[in-house]
Amino acid sequence: MSRPHSVWPGGVLSGCVVVAALVSLAASSPQEPAPVEQIVIGGVTPRFAVPECVPHTADPASQAACRTITQVLRADLRFEGLFQFVPESLMNAIPPLDPLAPRFDDWKGIGAKILVATQAQIVSNELQVEVRVYFVDSGQPMLQRRYSGKTDNPRSFAHQASDDIMTLTQYKGVARTRIAFVSDRDATKERPSKELYIVDYDGFNPRRVTVNASLNILPAWRPDGAALAYVSYRQGTPLVYLAKIFEGQSVANLSGERGDSSAFSPTFSPDGKSLAFASNRSGSMDVWVSSAEGAQPRRLTTTGAKDTAPCFSPTGQEIAFTSDRTGTPQLWQMDSEGLNVRRLTVGSGNYNDGCAWNPAKQYSEIAYTARLEAGGFDIAIIDLATRQVRQITQGRGSCEYPSWAPNGRHLVFSCARNRRWELTIADRDGRSFQTLATGPGNNVQPDWGP
Amino acid sequence: MPLRNQSRLSLAFLVLALAVFAYGCSGKRPPALATSAPGEEGSPTAGRTAPAPVEPIEEGPDVRPIEGEGASGSDIPGGALAGEGGPLADIRFELDSAALTDEARTILEKHALWLQGQRELRVIVEGHCDERGTVEYNLALGEQRARAVRDYLASLGVAAARLKVVSYGKERPLDPGSDEAAMARNRRAHFNVR
Repeated sequence: MSRPHSVWPGGVLSGCVVVAALVSLAASSPQEPAPVEQIVIGGVTPRFAVPECVPHTADPASQAACRTITQVLRADLRFEGLFQFVPESLMNAIPPLDPLAPRFDDWKGIGAKILVATQAQIVSNELQVEVRVYFVDSGQPMLQRRYSGKTDNPRSFAHQASDDIMTLTQYKGVARTRIAFVSDRDATKERPSKELYIVDYDGFNPRRVTVNASLNILPAWRPDGAALAYVSYRQGTPLVYLAKIFEGQSVANLSGERGDSSAFSPTFSPDGKSLAFASNRSGSMDVWVSSAEGAQPRRLTTTGAKDTAPCFSPTGQEIAFTSDRTGTPQLWQMDSEGLNVRRLTVGSGNYNDGCAWNPAKQYSEIAYTARLEAGGFDIAIIDLATRQVRQITQGRGSCEYPSWAPNGRHLVFSCARNRRWELTIADRDGRSFQTLATGPGNNVQPDWGP
Repeated sequence: MPLRNQSRLSLAFLVLALAVFAYGCSGKRPPALATSAPGEEGSPTAGRTAPAPVEPIEEGPDVRPIEGEGASGSDIPGGALAGEGGPLADIRFELDSAALTDEARTILEKHALWLQGQRELRVIVEGHCDERGTVEYNLALGEQRARAVRDYLASLGVAAARLKVVSYGKERPLDPGSDEAAMARNRRAHFNVR
């Protein structure tokens, strides 16, 4: 919550929701309960019980809010892929939860290690939610939080609670993150436009960002989550723009193209201080880097080949990009000064593009789009230490344009099935997939934001 | 009376033309960028889920017109002078190639002659790709195709200053189909005359 505009629901919470730790027994108790990650490391995934939220009052509005919170909180925690859950049938077999004084023996009896008790009520047009996370074996509360705010989006309360629960692990939760993408859903026959949209990570709350009825493509979050760089054709030539999403304003020609030159594929360094992009201002398509405001542009690639689609390493010291200097598009790597250039993808298909460097330092890997078989594209990940390539998608239609969740545990990309493009999320092992129902049209070029 | 009919027809045509003009104008509102607050009017999910309680993130004006950026001609595909049947027919390309074929050179030589007779015209050379490649590499490929066409026209004496290069990658296919014929039509340089 230190960055007020970091996330929409976060902005909400910083603006109008008071988050209060009721008690911090977890920190002050002499018998500190074990943090969740220790159980993870111990080899057994902790078994969560997330019973129904208990409305403080029996009015329909409080009950409805409670239902939504239960549903979203369960989905958020399940999505993270770190925990096991006590089935609902077992929870229904024991007496209903008393959120303030749970009968821990009951919960132990059905195999719960961690109990997440939520209560909610709507009081004078304000939604108040309390979340208590108990360590079942010891009966100690691990986390107790109270949230209050406007009543119109209970989902954001559940997202906030999920991210707070995730602070007990070694990973940052993604429940409040958003994904920017491109859609033709508002196109007409006369104006075949593509616009930028933002959606919650779970596919809810799509919001339109650009309204210029031109082509707006290739969105890239600024790391502070308050702006998107993207490419727009609104002035005829494709140029990089910056959309300040909270102000409804745009900055044109961020990369400082002059004359007729074009720019594509903007991406910010992880510290938000640099912008990398592709420009043809030198006469061929090259990777350039400048300050985040477009100052001091430096050309990093100097071959006559097509060099494009840069992505930064988590440290910002390295840049991967696509080049066809050897005849086919392949991923290459260089340092942020354009030196020490070497080829990354060798022998894994004749067409590789669209790098996305895993932002989590513990995973040294790059996701990209690969044509591994004739016909379509698939998402692949190359391990930078071993150079081993693992294929993430298979038989899901043609998939491209991967982007990592901020914690590096999931990927979003776009897949075409029956000629319609939809956003799809997979975990980094390629074991679980889900299609995001973001709305109508073709939904492509996702960028997972903070 | 034939004459009166004719003038009535012309009047009808004039009205129609004005209507089309007016429509065209209204379509050329300066584009703008705005943030839709969650759950705002017209939010695509209204009804599906309650809007997020967004607290006063100071919203700027909904519209911030950028001077002189009316929707450019390049946004509307085609033009009387371009495309099939016009004096500036599309140039086709081989799969994943920006090389000009012999056929392309022959067509471009005719284009160059025609352009030299129309010295007031400026031309946007659009480079397009079929749907088979990736988004980003196709944008680079489309740029290379458009540049190859521009360079060849310039070598034939068309002033380079009259020629502007814009890549659309695979973002604006001419033919929405996915068979070989459609994709061949989509691998093209298209001319947009101003």
